[in-house]
Amino acid sequence: MLTMQSLTKTYVTDNVQTHALREFNLQVNEGDFVAVTGPSGSGKTTFLNIAGLLETFNQGTYTLDGQNVSALNDKQRSKVRNEKIGFIFQNFNLIPDLNLYDNVDVPLRYRGFNAQERKRRIEQSLERVGLAKRMQHLPSQLSGGQQQRVAIARALAGEPRFLLADEPTGNLDTKMAHSVMALLTEINQNGTTIVMVTHDPELAAQTQRNIFVRDGKVSETTPELVVTDKIAV
Amino acid sequence: MNLSYLELGPMWRALMRNKVGALLIAIQIAVTMTIVLNSISIVVERDKMMQRASGLDEQNTFYLTSTGYTSDFNAQNTVTEDLLAIRAIPGVVDAIQLNAIPISGGGWSMSLATEAGPDVEGTGTAVYMVDEHGLETLDLDLIAGRNFTANEIRWRQAAQPDWPETVIITEALALTIFDNVDAAVGQTVYIGNDEPMTIIGVIDQLQAPWVGWNNLEHSMLSPENMAFNSTRYLIRTEDGERDRLMPIVEEMLAARTSGRIIRNMDTLTATRDRSYRQHNAMIKILLTVIVCLTLITALGIVGLASFSVQKRIKQIGTKRALGASQASVMRYFMLENGMISTVGLVLGTGLTIGLNMLLVNWFNLTPLDWMYIPIGVISLLIVGQIAVLGPARRAANIAPATATRTL
Repeated sequence: MLTMQSLTKTYVTDNVQTHALREFNLQVNEGDFVAVTGPSGSGKTTFLNIAGLLETFNQGTYTLDGQNVSALNDKQRSKVRNEKIGFIFQNFNLIPDLNLYDNVDVPLRYRGFNAQERKRRIEQSLERVGLAKRMQHLPSQLSGGQQQRVAIARALAGEPRFLLADEPTGNLDTKMAHSVMALLTEINQNGTTIVMVTHDPELAAQTQRNIFVRDGKVSETTPELVVTDKIAV
Repeated sequence: MNLSYLELGPMWRALMRNKVGALLIAIQIAVTMTIVLNSISIVVERDKMMQRASGLDEQNTFYLTSTGYTSDFNAQNTVTEDLLAIRAIPGVVDAIQLNAIPISGGGWSMSLATEAGPDVEGTGTAVYMVDEHGLETLDLDLIAGRNFTANEIRWRQAAQPDWPETVIITEALALTIFDNVDAAVGQTVYIGNDEPMTIIGVIDQLQAPWVGWNNLEHSMLSPENMAFNSTRYLIRTEDGERDRLMPIVEEMLAARTSGRIIRNMDTLTATRDRSYRQHNAMIKILLTVIVCLTLITALGIVGLASFSVQKRIKQIGTKRALGASQASVMRYFMLENGMISTVGLVLGTGLTIGLNMLLVNWFNLTPLDWMYIPIGVISLLIVGQIAVLGPARRAANIAPATATRTL
């Protein structure tokens, strides 16, 4: 599903070079639920941004769903993000002026679905996260956990094969965090590949596979992982 | 046709939930449209007024005043000899004595009626007293009838109340009185209630002295010279000779006769500028208002759009992460501006028509040409789109990775 080979990402500010990722190698197979952990500044978010085509990288190769995405232009990257990747953000990133229906509708409109198909997908995905009856509500009328469920519904509505979650429970209390985690597990069990960046070792432990990022490298892995800092063949 | 990618529905609903800023800009656009279109209408009307032909050869015509001040000053002889002398100067096409200068702001007016009597309502007309050289000097075309003959020209004394028996009138005056130019020749009109004058000719155009007068095109030529101590001569020169001949004529007249002064020499082009100075100033003021208002509105749009982009950086990043291309983000802001502008322009259309109706009633202005409305709408939409272009570009350049950053 996702293969990164020798990825390097360097930020340059005021002649100071910061190596966010160095020789980063990772393979995620279809159906995996991978937790990415590591200390602050280790490169987790940079990895997530590159994996989600939100940022470009300096060197290396990145193949997503069999497609080499290294040389895509902005428009092509937008299309891949829209069609193949679902995003779940720590702060939910819902649009406050739009109700739940319109929030879930956002990526579907870029996909060019007609109104009927969009309606079907929105209702289905909100039903799946248990918020179908509140689709006319604004995000501000929901709890944090419910908002994250809407964000998950938005990510699922396009039926992506790959979900990227950035600290999805970071802003939730324990009860809500468990609820969201259960939902993600269910989604994964239905066949969607998930890569989740988290600080929380307990959450990481609930996933099938963990990788640990330090100093821009996959420096540690759990014993049973197929993933190594060398490409698994 | 699937237009879902335009996001018009969510865009409208989002605007409705956050409408104060957008509404203020829409109102600003409406007010701008109202003032700009009505101002342009006034400017065009004033400009048309200023462009109206006086009927004279303005570029080659000048005039001056001769004022005799001695007790033995013989006005009649002086005028006769002056005119002969002026007409003899090489480069002079013709010259006349004239009681009033067209479009100068000061002159004589009378009323002509088709019936005699004090209660008969006549038609107002400017009166120009000229001799048989009047048509040539004023550069008038006779479109019906004939010119005065030398024998028809009489001498008017100061305070003399009666009128000659013949008259030449302008086409506009003939059409007002008789509805037909040819039918006017030979007809009798009454001046000063009961003095008959026979129309012997109709000229194409000669404007009255008062540029703001409703009957500006109504003029009559009365066949007479004036035995007045102070009088004006109007001199028409050959093309390009006016400025050279002005001092020559002035010096010649001053040298010819003692006991009088030559003064107030001026050209018809300068007279036109002076007469339309207020209109000209009004046009400049209105054009300044139009430019300033349009700029202020454009800056308002830039301000709102910039604020909107700044406020929505995270949203834009999120949309980019969810699949919006740079073009989609730009299109969103431009369409949003188009939507706000459309509301403003619909409101502005009503206000424009309303204000115009009031102006027409209050100041007797010409009603706004309906074509101004679509032209104004399109122009202001374009101004809005140009104004929002910069902020929209900035929005489109927001990186999708912004979605994962803490702002």
